[in-house]
Formats: sequence, C-alpha cells, structure tokens
Amino acid sequence: MAGIKIKYTKTERAKQKKILKVSQRMLPLFEAMEKSLMSTINTIAERIDDIRQTIEKNREASKSWLAVMGDSWGSLAEFISVNEVITKPVDVAGVRVQQFERVDFNIVEPSANTPLWVDDAIELVAEQLQLEAEIKCLLDQIELLEEELLDVRARVKLFENRRIPNAKIAIRKIGQKLQDDDRLTIATAKVVKTDKQMEVAYDY
Amino acid sequence: MSNMVYLLCSLPSLNFAQVPPISFDEFYQDSEKQLSKKDFGMLETVDLRKMDSDEHGKLKHFARLYADLLGDMTELRTAKTEKRPVRLAHLPKSLADGNPLEREKQIMRWQWDRLDDLEAGNTFSLVNVLVYKLKLQILHRLQSMETESGKQVFESVINDAKRKG
Repeated sequence: MAGIKIKYTKTERAKQKKILKVSQRMLPLFEAMEKSLMSTINTIAERIDDIRQTIEKNREASKSWLAVMGDSWGSLAEFISVNEVITKPVDVAGVRVQQFERVDFNIVEPSANTPLWVDDAIELVAEQLQLEAEIKCLLDQIELLEEELLDVRARVKLFENRRIPNAKIAIRKIGQKLQDDDRLTIATAKVVKTDKQMEVAYDY
Repeated sequence: MSNMVYLLCSLPSLNFAQVPPISFDEFYQDSEKQLSKKDFGMLETVDLRKMDSDEHGKLKHFARLYADLLGDMTELRTAKTEKRPVRLAHLPKSLADGNPLEREKQIMRWQWDRLDDLEAGNTFSLVNVLVYKLKLQILHRLQSMETESGKQVFESVINDAKRKG
C-alpha cells in the first residue's frame, strides 16, 4: 500500500469498492482452481506410479527368460522400432495438454525361421515402450499443469495479500478523509455562521 | 578316410548345454587341413539357420526334419494369433507352455537329438563333420543366451526406441 497514491474522492472510493467486490468474488474461483490443479497433478502422479509398477512387474516377469535376447541368431532391434507416439489434445483442469493415445510401431513380421522368442520379445518391448511413452506424456502434462498452478498461486497471493487488503485500506482511508472533509466543512460553515451572527449583533 | 578319422578323433566331444570346447575358427582351421576342398566347401555352406532339403544332399533327412520343425513353429505362431490350442506334429507338446527361453532350449534339444539320430548311422564320414558343425552352432547359440547380455539387448532396444520416439 505504501507508495500508492490514493485519490481521496468519492469516485475513487467507488472504484476501490468495485475492485474489492470483484477480487472477493475471484479469489474463491482461483482457490478452487488451485485445488483442482493440485488434485489433478496428484492423480497424474499416482497414475505414473501405477505405470511404473506395471513396468517393474513386466520386467520381473521377463527376468527368467531375458537371457534369450542375447541370442546370437536374432537381433531384436531389427524387428521393432517406434514410428510415432500418437496423442490428442484435451483440456485437463482448464489446461490444454496432450493425452496419450498409443504408440505406432514399425514391426517387421518374423519369418518362419525367425526364433520363436522374437515374437514374445516384440510383445514385451512394445508393451514397455507404450508404458514409457504414456509416462512421458503424463510428465509433460504435469509440467504444464505445474506452470499453470504457479500462475494461479501467484494470482491467489496477489488477491489475498495485495488487491483485497489494498482496496480495503484505500476504502477506509478515503472514507476517513471524506469524513474529515465533511467535518471540516461543517465546522467551517459553523464558524462562518457564528461570525456572521456576531457581525449582525455588532451592527445592532 | 584316414584324414576324416584323424579330424573326428582330434575334435573335442560335444555335449548338449556345455560351454563350447572349441571356437569356429579353430574348428575351420582343423577341418580345412584334413578335408578336401569340396568337402570343406560343403562344411562352410552348411548352416543350421538355413537348412534346405534341396541344397544339403548329405543332410537331406535332417533338412526334412528341420522343415517339420519350421512347420511346428508356424503352428505355434498361428495358434497364438488365433488364440486356439496348439497342435504340434513333431515338437513336444510341453513346448507351448514354457517361457521363451525354455522353449528355445527345448527346440535346440530337439535339434540336437535329431542330429544324434543322424550321426548314429554314420562313422567317420563327412556327415559326422557336418553334424559336428551344426552341434557346435547349437552350443555357441546356447552360450550366447546369457542373462547379462540379454538384459543389455533389451535395455538398448528400449532406450534406442525411447530416444527416437
């Protein structure tokens, strides 16, 4: 408030009252937005944890046969690669983010004499890559939501710590000043009236 | 003939799932010294990955068995795609249940046993040398299926794909 020059006028008081009214109406909206963003971020983080658990579960399940991928007769990399990660834009808690749809793979069909394990390895790699791609998408979502959350928090603070208190102070100060002015006017008028009455008395 | 006897006697014996007792380079060096150019040429071309009934006259029977094996492998793939029970004609039925590593080992065991059968009727012939090479291929392949290298392959495929994706 310090440093802000207030115009001690009724118009200014009306303006500050309007600011206060709007700010008091906006604050709960921003607070709700903050809560919603926080809860969405937590939900996404939980989803990431779930996916990570699934990745770990798959890894554990394949541990007993992972050795087969060292096979000198089969090069797994020749059979599967990522073509594109497909996403679609959606609004999450008012923020436009990319939602994971699926991964488009380039898969080379194993021929008749391709070792059988290659089929299983393709399936495993595809599943793990789908999950990894989903995690990446969700992390990108969190990044965008966190940016928005910071913005919303700044707004909440602005309303809580500056706009509302400043408007209240301004209204109070303008009110006091206007009251003082009124009192002064009345007092002056009384003095003038008394003086005039005394002048009239002297004349008589 | 005596060269063949010498070669086969000088080669270390092979047992399924053992660490290969001889490298391919050593095997080829020893074989080249003892075999005729024609026989060595045949030895070089024979390959367990490319068994073809028309090409390898000496291993015709095994090549036919190999074709049967490919038929069963195709059936395993088709049954999985069509989500129906597997009907294997030659490979053991238990093959469908094991994990990919066990399955591959079972297939190799099956190949090994068929090669044993093939060897049974021959002594100190070129067939024995060819069979020796095929068995050595099986052992080297089995040796390559090692947990750490498998893990590395898996991780590198995942990481490469992640980078490119």
